[in-house]
Amino acid sequence: MEGNATDPFVLVGANYKTYESAEKKISFWQQIKGMPILSMVILGIIILGCIFAEQVYNHDPTGFYLQNLNQPPNSEFYFGTDSLGRDIYSMIWYGGRVSILIGLLGMAIITVIGVIYGCVSGTANSRVDSIMMRIPELMNSIPNLLLILLLTSVMGTQNIVKISFVIGVTGWCGLARIVRSEVRQIRSSEYVLAAQCMGSGFFHIMIKHLIPNFISTIMFVVVSSIGLSISMESTLSFLGLGLPIDVVSWGSMLSLANKALLSNSWWVIIFPGVFLITTLVCVTNIAYYFRKETNKRESYL
Amino acid sequence: MNSKSMLIEKIVKRTLWFLLSMLLLSIVVFYFARLAPGDPLESYYGDAVESMTSPELDAARERLGLDGPIALQYVKWISNAVQGDFGMSLKYKMPALAVIAPLIGNTLVLGGTAYILVFVLATILALFCAMHEDTWIDRIICKVGTAAYYIPSFWLGVVLVLIFSINLGWLPSSGAYDIGKSDDLFNRIQHMILPLTVMILSHLWYYAYMIRNKLLDEIRKEYVLLAKSKGCTKSEVVLKHCFRNVAPTIVNIMAISIPHVLSGTFIAEAVFNYPGIGALSVTSAKYHDYNLLMLIVLITGVMVVSSSIIAQFINEAIDPRMKLTEVTAWKETPQTPLS
Repeated sequence: MEGNATDPFVLVGANYKTYESAEKKISFWQQIKGMPILSMVILGIIILGCIFAEQVYNHDPTGFYLQNLNQPPNSEFYFGTDSLGRDIYSMIWYGGRVSILIGLLGMAIITVIGVIYGCVSGTANSRVDSIMMRIPELMNSIPNLLLILLLTSVMGTQNIVKISFVIGVTGWCGLARIVRSEVRQIRSSEYVLAAQCMGSGFFHIMIKHLIPNFISTIMFVVVSSIGLSISMESTLSFLGLGLPIDVVSWGSMLSLANKALLSNSWWVIIFPGVFLITTLVCVTNIAYYFRKETNKRESYL
Repeated sequence: MNSKSMLIEKIVKRTLWFLLSMLLLSIVVFYFARLAPGDPLESYYGDAVESMTSPELDAARERLGLDGPIALQYVKWISNAVQGDFGMSLKYKMPALAVIAPLIGNTLVLGGTAYILVFVLATILALFCAMHEDTWIDRIICKVGTAAYYIPSFWLGVVLVLIFSINLGWLPSSGAYDIGKSDDLFNRIQHMILPLTVMILSHLWYYAYMIRNKLLDEIRKEYVLLAKSKGCTKSEVVLKHCFRNVAPTIVNIMAISIPHVLSGTFIAEAVFNYPGIGALSVTSAKYHDYNLLMLIVLITGVMVVSSSIIAQFINEAIDPRMKLTEVTAWKETPQTPLS
C-alpha cells in the first residue's frame, strides 16, 4: 500500500483490500456449549445399555431363579432378586427397552394427533375452530388419570401398543392448543396465501410451511412427552392396570413394590425407580434445552 | 345492573355447556363400556352364570339393564340417572351411589387439604425465589424442584412407606384410620401425613414455578421502579405491589389445576389404600365395573366445573379488571415443565 496520512488521495491497486469472510469456523466445543451434555451422556449410556442388553446382563431376565427368592444385592445378583426370583440387574436393562419404546411410541402418537388437530383447528374458520377447541376443553375437565383408567379398563389385557395408544390419545390436548395458536399467527402470512393460490393442498401447506415455522416452539412439549409417557406407563403398571407382570418393563417391575414392602426388600423398589427417574430427569433436561429463552429485561427490583 | 345480568348470563351459559358436556361424556363412556370385552353379567354373578338357564339369563340381563340395543339401554340409564339411580355396582352388588357416597367425603378432605397446602406453600416458595432471583439459592431450588416433580408420585409414596412406616415405624402405611378409631381426629391426621407429603412434593414445584415466572414478569414493570424510588424496601415492593397484581393469576391457576390435583389425589389414594373415590376408581377399572366408573367420572366432572365457576367469582371479587372479560380455561394452561 502506498501513500501516507497527509495525502488525501491514495493510489489503490487490484489487491488494495482483501476481504475475509466474517463467518468463522465454530469449533466443536463451542457448538455443544450450553447443551445438557451430562444428561445426554447419561441417557446415552442407559439407551445403549438397553439396546445391547444381551451383552450387558448376566442372567436371563425372564428366568425364575427359584432358589434365590428375595436375595439382597450380592456379587452374583448385583441388584438382588425379586419375590419371583428374577434378577433385577438383568431385568433393568432388558425392561428399559419396553419402557423407552413406550415413551417413543407415546410421543409419536401425541405429536401426530396434536400437530394435525392443531393445524386443522388453526386453519379452519372460527366456527369450526371454536367447536374443535371444545373437545380438549372437555377432556381437560376430567382428570387425566381417570380417562386413562376408563380406556385401559375398556381395552382389556394390555400390551405395548395398546398402552402407548391410551397414553397418546389422552395426552395430546396441550400440544394441539399450542400448535393451534401458533398456526393462527402464521396462517395469513404471504407465503401461506401464495401456496394456497398455487393450489397446494392442506397437507402440503402443513408440512412445507406450517410445521417448519412452529417446530422450535413445540420441541419442548414433544420431547418432554417422552418422559410423560414413560412415567404414565409405570404408574399404570404399578396400579395393576398396565403391562402384565411377564412383560418386563420398569413399570411392571415396580408393580411388585407392594409385595416388596411386606418383606422390606428395598432393592426391588429402589433400583428400577432410580433408573426410571434418572431417565426422566435426563429427558427433561434435554427438553429444556429446546425451550426458547424469552429475552428478559433487567429486573427493577 | 348490566354487569349483573351479564354475570347471570355467563353462569347460565356455563351451566348449559357443562350439562351438554356431561351428556356427551356419558354417551361416550356408556358406548365404550358396553362394547368392552368382558361380560358384565359374569362380573356380577361370577361363575353362577354358567349354571343359569337362558330365561334366567334374560331376566338377569333385564334386571341389570343389559337387554336391548345400546341406544335403548342408554335412554333407560339416563332417565334413571336423572332420578338419582345410577344403576348397580357390578362388583359391590349395591347401588353405585351408595358405594360412592361414604367415600366422597374422604377424598374431598384429602384433596382439599392438599390443594390448599400446595398453593400456600407454592406461593411462599415463589415469593422467596422471586425475591432472590438468580442467586445460588434460587437456582438450587429450581433444580431440586424440577427433579422432584419428575419423580413418579407412586414411587415416592412407596419409598416414604418403606422409610417411615416399615423401617422407622412412625406413621401408618395405609387406610384413613385404624379400626374402631374413626372418630379419633389425631389418628386420622396421622394417616393423612404420608399421602399429603406425596401430593405436596409432586405438585408443589409445578405451581411454584408458574407463580415465580409470573412474579418475575411483574417485577420488570415500571411501577416497581416508582415504588422503589418512593422508598419501599424489596419485600414491601414484592408483597404489597407485585403480589397483589399476581393474585388473580394465582386464582386462575388454582381453578385450572383442579383436575391435575385430583389426578394426584387418585394416585395417592391408590398407593396408600386410602378409602376414597380415587382408590375406588382404580378397583372398578380393574373389575370392569362401568356403572361405578361412570358415576365417578360424572362426579369428578361436577366437582371440577363447579369449582372453576367459583374461581371465576373470586377472581371478579378481587380484581375489577376481570369483569366482563371472558376467562378461558386454557389460556393459562402452562405447557410448563410439566405436562
